[in-house]
Amino acid sequence: MHPMLLSLGIIAAGGILPLLTYRHCTLTRYLHASFTIVGCLLGLYQALAFSGFLSDISWRWLHCCPLAFSFDSLTRFFLVPIFLISPLAVLYSIDYFTNSQQSLRTAASLFFTNILVIAMVLVTAADNILSFALAWEALSLSSFFLVMYDFEKATTRNAGYLYFLFTQSGALCIFAAFGVIFATTGSFDFQGANTLPESLKIVVFLLAFIGFGSKAGVFPLHFWLPHAHPAAPSHISAIMSGVMIKMGIYGILRLYFLLAPDSLLIGETVLIFGMLSGVLGVLYALSKHDMKRLLAYHSVENIGIILIGLGLGMIGISLGDPLVALFALAGGLLHVLNHALFKSVLFLGAGVVRKQCGHGQIDRLGGLLKSMPVTGRTFLVGSAAISGLPPLNGFISEFLIYYAAFHALQHSHTLFFLATLAILSLALIGGLASFCFTKVVGVVFLGESRSGEEIAGEGGKWMALPMILLAGGCLLIGLFPASFIELARLGLADCLTFAPEVTRQLSAMADNLAFGCRLFLLAVLFFLCLRMVIYRNKPVDTGPTWGCGFTGGTARIQYTGTSYARTVVGFFRPFVLIRETPVRLKSIFPGRTNYTNHVTDIAEEAAAQGLAQPLLLVLGKLRWIQHGNIQLYIGYIVLTILVVLLTLLL
Amino acid sequence: MESLLSFALALAAAPLFPGIILKVKAFFSGRKGPPLLIRYFTLTKLFRKGSVYSTTTTFVFTLAPVVSCAGALLLLLFFPLGIGPPLLAFAGDAILLFYVLAAGRFFTIAAALDTGSPFEGMGAAREALFGALAEIAVFIILILFFRMNGTLSFADFFAGVRPISLTGTAGALLPLVIVALFMVLLTENSRVPVDDPATHLELTMIHEVMILDHSGPDLALIHLAAYYKLLFFAAWISLLLCPIDPALGLLNLPIFYGVMTLIYVAVGVVESIMARLRMNLVPQFILTSCTLLFFAAILTMGYLQ
Repeated sequence: MHPMLLSLGIIAAGGILPLLTYRHCTLTRYLHASFTIVGCLLGLYQALAFSGFLSDISWRWLHCCPLAFSFDSLTRFFLVPIFLISPLAVLYSIDYFTNSQQSLRTAASLFFTNILVIAMVLVTAADNILSFALAWEALSLSSFFLVMYDFEKATTRNAGYLYFLFTQSGALCIFAAFGVIFATTGSFDFQGANTLPESLKIVVFLLAFIGFGSKAGVFPLHFWLPHAHPAAPSHISAIMSGVMIKMGIYGILRLYFLLAPDSLLIGETVLIFGMLSGVLGVLYALSKHDMKRLLAYHSVENIGIILIGLGLGMIGISLGDPLVALFALAGGLLHVLNHALFKSVLFLGAGVVRKQCGHGQIDRLGGLLKSMPVTGRTFLVGSAAISGLPPLNGFISEFLIYYAAFHALQHSHTLFFLATLAILSLALIGGLASFCFTKVVGVVFLGESRSGEEIAGEGGKWMALPMILLAGGCLLIGLFPASFIELARLGLADCLTFAPEVTRQLSAMADNLAFGCRLFLLAVLFFLCLRMVIYRNKPVDTGPTWGCGFTGGTARIQYTGTSYARTVVGFFRPFVLIRETPVRLKSIFPGRTNYTNHVTDIAEEAAAQGLAQPLLLVLGKLRWIQHGNIQLYIGYIVLTILVVLLTLLL
Repeated sequence: MESLLSFALALAAAPLFPGIILKVKAFFSGRKGPPLLIRYFTLTKLFRKGSVYSTTTTFVFTLAPVVSCAGALLLLLFFPLGIGPPLLAFAGDAILLFYVLAAGRFFTIAAALDTGSPFEGMGAAREALFGALAEIAVFIILILFFRMNGTLSFADFFAGVRPISLTGTAGALLPLVIVALFMVLLTENSRVPVDDPATHLELTMIHEVMILDHSGPDLALIHLAAYYKLLFFAAWISLLLCPIDPALGLLNLPIFYGVMTLIYVAVGVVESIMARLRMNLVPQFILTSCTLLFFAAILTMGYLQ
């Protein structure tokens, strides 16, 4: 038996079991978790054993549809985050799904989680158009059901429908791209795609980019994310944001290598959309007040960083500059893994806050670090990592992309501008991301509780363990980047070949980064020890925070997330629409006033105004077709068949 | 050996220079001013004291001075301080250094929010925005230097085949860089016109208000980090004005510190003759330096291929 099928079989069994044993709520969750973890670890072992050969799988389905799956290096690289994050998220769900009233629903959610894992594995392994399409649909549908967990809430239903709309219309674009390939080559195989004429390659790539981009959350097709993530359970958000949206990235990369286009245009397009997503993603994140919505926008930002890497890499390939290509692609790929780690720890942390406090509204929380030491500390590590700070993993991948972008400066004038913009976007993204995460950490976990409510403690050991492991992973990649950079390079091995000289440069850089990060950590530890020595035998006192002479301070006068981010959001005003109620003071002693502000996403606004409303208007005129009279509906069908037959005959 | 000497000298001399700024400001206002060694006295005093911590704070609060001081130390380790190559260097260390600085800022801001004081939150919000903008200016400088020199390491910027100097290739662009870098120095180190270190009202502060609750050795570490950071930026400008000449040997050191003194005097003069900008004008000030640098970067397209 194929080893990968074995692990998928175990995962599938783990998914089906809850449907049978859902009456025993606790048993179900433990059974599901143990099966899934065993299956995933087995899969992870196979994915990481790069020397071990995984044979292709193929069979004919219904005697006419050939299905084929193969495991090349790129597939194996993307299998790593799937098999790494999914078991941790499932482990977390043991303590997350504790409501025994909803055991059937929970069982269904556990079932669809495993279907999603299997679908993701099959998407990355798919080797022809048909198998890819089937796996992609399974991925979309299972994740849709996962989002709909709390289906009795109207916001959840709306989020689910929006996601469904995006994922299906995205799939439409992808299938259209495949249709063009099929029409030209006449076969379901991917392999013939590179024989397409150059102009068709661009059409195919751009069509697929729309489809994959909507899955990945590329601006302006990103706005399902901030709706779907807050609606879904937190560990599902972790899987979706950490791994599932990366399937879009995988699709873009896979199609690029299959088409092997020469045109610079493709790399430039990817780069420009990467910069847009990166900068606007972090800007919108800053203006959000809900933890999970904010994290969703950060996914858009990180997808942007990944696309900047991939775009630069594609440009490097087109120009024949192996250094730019290797550093940028390796950086982009490594960021896929890094983002999976730190975004999962952040979503899981947000989940604990939401479960224990009942909501995730940043401005109503505060001081949680004291009651949630593990969640707070791991969230802090994740925040520093996503801000790209050394010695954590986010810095490593961003550094590689920076390095490639600097080397791309030397080419043509157009590239000089693009590379300059890429570097500056990365710098701005880094600055704003640390702005945003000091906001979350500072307002939610530090300071005093704003609502004054007594906060319950940690969520449970199964919730804490995955977060500790993930935070440890962030630090591990930061301190020992060499093997992980090598992993990213090996991921490219079957798609591109690089001169040994360039590869050596990459591994030399990995050693330098390891040196730099370790040195920084060492310096921090040195000063920590120094501080301890200095504070020996020193009087240390505690007191209230210095209120600058004001002694009547309460927890409510603390800076909130909104006030903290207000200046910077206002600074970028043309790109963010701020709606606020004007505050007019009418007399010398004004009474109570109200102030609200709300930031709308320009893409969402434009889609609502420019697409949805005209569409509603036109389709509203056609409402009379749908009248509920079943005889007439049958008449429509007969008429349609007649028209089709006539057109075929004539 | 030379490198170690210059590093040790910089570590020891960093608290001296802010004293020069104070002297210049005192001269302009017709006062005698504090002694030149005032910062050493302050540091000694603080290191001897104990601390008072707010009951609101957590371990993040104590981590901030440590991280910013470690970052500042790294800056000096990787920078050629007047003589010889820096102690440590690798291709791309410039990016690492600015991210290490950002890590220091991240924890300082977190510590400010940790106290739960509205004033510190306000200072944090300002510092975060201005820091993010100043980072852009710094990265344009790196882009420009990469175009001029082809490297990304402080050790190679001022040495090697194509050192960056006023007399070298594209040296005509450097006056723009020097002016912009001086503006970045004022921003990053919270000097007038961005921030007034001597102001007495918390509402008008940026950096000072963020560290209101730190006391004793913690505060000393924060001060020390600030001195090192200021020294780093001043040394950077100083090397642009007057590069290291290997032929001069040890004589480089007095020249380097002479130019450094001039830069600190310039900071003092700016502080004496200018008022702090209104808060909403500060982003424009930083963006001005970005524009200057961007202009210089575009000019490299013409004659550097």
